[in-house]
Amino acid sequence: MRTGAAAGHVGYYHEAILFDSEEHLLAVVVPFLLGGVEAGEPAVVGFGARNAELVRRALPAGSGVTFLPGGDVYARPTSAIRAYRKLLAGYVAEGATQIRIVGELPPQTLGATWDWWARYEAAINHAYDDFPLWSMCAYDTRVASPQVLADVARTHPREARPDGSHLPIGDYTEPTSFLAEPRAMLLDPVQRTAPLVELTDPTAAEARAAVQAADRGQVPADDVEDLKVAVSEMVTNALRHGQPPTRMRLWSGPDRIVVTVQDRGDGPKDPYAGLLPAGDGATGGLGLWISHQSCNHVALHRHDDGFTVRLTAGNPYFPV
Amino acid sequence: MISESAPSAAYGHVCLAYDEPAALDARAVPFLAAGLAAGERVALIAPGSRDELARRLGRLPGRDAALRRGALRLLSIEQMYRSDAVIDPLAQVRAYDAATTEALAAGYAGLRVLAYATPLVRTPAQRDAFTRYEHLIDRFMRHRPMSAICAYDRRELGDAAIAELACMHPETNADVLFRLHATAGEAVVALGGELDPSNHRLFAAALDRADPRPADGRLVVDATGLRFVDHRSLLHLRDHARRHGATLVLRTAHPAAARLAELLDLPEVRVEVRR
Repeated sequence: MRTGAAAGHVGYYHEAILFDSEEHLLAVVVPFLLGGVEAGEPAVVGFGARNAELVRRALPAGSGVTFLPGGDVYARPTSAIRAYRKLLAGYVAEGATQIRIVGELPPQTLGATWDWWARYEAAINHAYDDFPLWSMCAYDTRVASPQVLADVARTHPREARPDGSHLPIGDYTEPTSFLAEPRAMLLDPVQRTAPLVELTDPTAAEARAAVQAADRGQVPADDVEDLKVAVSEMVTNALRHGQPPTRMRLWSGPDRIVVTVQDRGDGPKDPYAGLLPAGDGATGGLGLWISHQSCNHVALHRHDDGFTVRLTAGNPYFPV
Repeated sequence: MISESAPSAAYGHVCLAYDEPAALDARAVPFLAAGLAAGERVALIAPGSRDELARRLGRLPGRDAALRRGALRLLSIEQMYRSDAVIDPLAQVRAYDAATTEALAAGYAGLRVLAYATPLVRTPAQRDAFTRYEHLIDRFMRHRPMSAICAYDRRELGDAAIAELACMHPETNADVLFRLHATAGEAVVALGGELDPSNHRLFAAALDRADPRPADGRLVVDATGLRFVDHRSLLHLRDHARRHGATLVLRTAHPAAARLAELLDLPEVRVEVRR
C-alpha cells in the first residue's frame, strides 16, 4: 500500500519543489520524510552538504531517514539513473511498497551542462516508472535560471508546495516529446578557437589516435582513455547510422578536451538514447549510453543540416 | 628448447603479405640464411617444381651444400597437397612436430620454415581450416624450436582474406588492427593491437578459430598488448568464456576496460589492470 499523496498511484510519482527560502524547503521536505518513516517506507535524502545539514537539524534525533553520502550520485545523469535504479530495486527486493526520495542537483549542473540534466529529468519519468517511487527534486528559484525553471516545469508532472498541496504542473510534457525537441547546444568557449583537429570520415582508430595526440596532460589519463571510448563509439555511430560526411573536430583547452562528431543524419531515433541502454549490447545501441558515462558532459544537438554530439573530457563547466 | 619464460620475441611466427613475389624472395634469403647460420634445418615450401624453388634461393649462400647435407629442404606445395585441399589442422601440426623432432635428432638446433601458402587458403572453407591450424602451430612454436614465415599473395587473396590469416600471427606486415596469438604462463591466449567496431566480427571469428579453453573455471587472456578494447569485443570474450562455463580474466594495461565491464555489469568478467 502506498501512502500520502502518491497513494493509489502506480509507478513513479515525480514532483518538483520550487523553493525560495529554507523555511519553504523544510516545510515540504520534513513532513514528506517523516510521513515515509511513519509508514515504514524508506525515506532517503540526496542533497548537497548544506541542505542535507539543514534537513538533518530539522529532523528529530534518530529519525530513521537515510542520507546518501556526498553528491557523487549526480556526477553524470546516466550514472545517476543506474545508481538510483539499483537503490530502488534493492528496496523493492526488501519488500518496500513505496520509496520516498528528495534530491537536489549540485549547483554547477544548472549551467553549461544543464541540457543533459534536463534530459535526465524528462527521462526518469519513464526510467523510474517501474518502481513505487515518490520523489521530489528541489530547485532553488533564487539560483536557477529562467531556462532551468522552464525545463523543470516541463519535466515534473507535479509541484509539492509548503501548504501540503501537490498540484499538477500545466507545462508538463511527455518525456518522449520533450526529448525529441531540438535542444540548443551552448558553445564551449574553446569552440570559438580553431579546432586542433578536423577529420572527415575518419575510421574509429583514426579518431582515437587524434584524441591520444591531443593529450598534453591537461586532463587525467583515465579521462583521456574514456574519451577515446566515447569518440570511437560516436564516430562509429555516425559512419554506420548517420549520413555522410562524418566530421570530427577536436579542441584542446587548458583544462579540457572537447570533441564534436557531426553527420548529416537525424541522430538517434530512440528519445532515451544515451540515458538508458538500448538493445542488449550484442546488437549495438550501447555506444551513446556508454559515452554518457565516459565523459563529463555529452551534448546532443539536432540542427537543419544534421546531428552533432559533443563530448567533453576534463572540466565541462563554462560561464553561461 | 625455448623455455617457458622466454620473451615472445624469442619465437618467430610471422605473416607476410606480399604483392611482388620477387620482393618476398629477397626477404626469404636472409631469413633462411640466418637459420642455416644458427644450425637449424630450414625448409622452403612453395608452389612450383623443385628446380623452380631452388632458383628462388639462388642467392642463398651455400645453397647447394645445404641441400646436399639435408640442412635445406625444398618442398613443392603441389606435391604435398591437392590444389583444393582443406588441411587437417591437427594432422598438420603433428607433421611439423615430427619434422621438428627429426631435425633435433639429426643434430639441428631447430626447424625454420618459409611457406608460400596461398594455394591452401583460396576458399572460405580452406581459410577456416587454415586459420585454426595457424593458431595451433602458433601454440606449438611458442614451446618448440620451430619458427616460420607464412607468406600470402595479397593480389590473389585480397585484403579481407589476408586479414583473417594475418590476425592469427603475433607479427605481421599486413594492415590488421588486432592480433590474437599464443602466449606462455597462465594466459591461454594473447591479444595485441586494437579491438573496435571495425573488426569485432573478424575478432569473433578469430576467437572461435583459436578456441582458447579455460583452466579451473578461468579463461585468462593476456591483453597487455592491447591498446583499445570496445564493449562488443569484451562481450565476445565473455560469451566465449561462458560457453565453456568459465569466468573471463582479462589482463590489460588500460583501466578503461575495467570501467566498461563495470558499466555493462558483467559479473563473469574480471579485468585485472597491470600498468
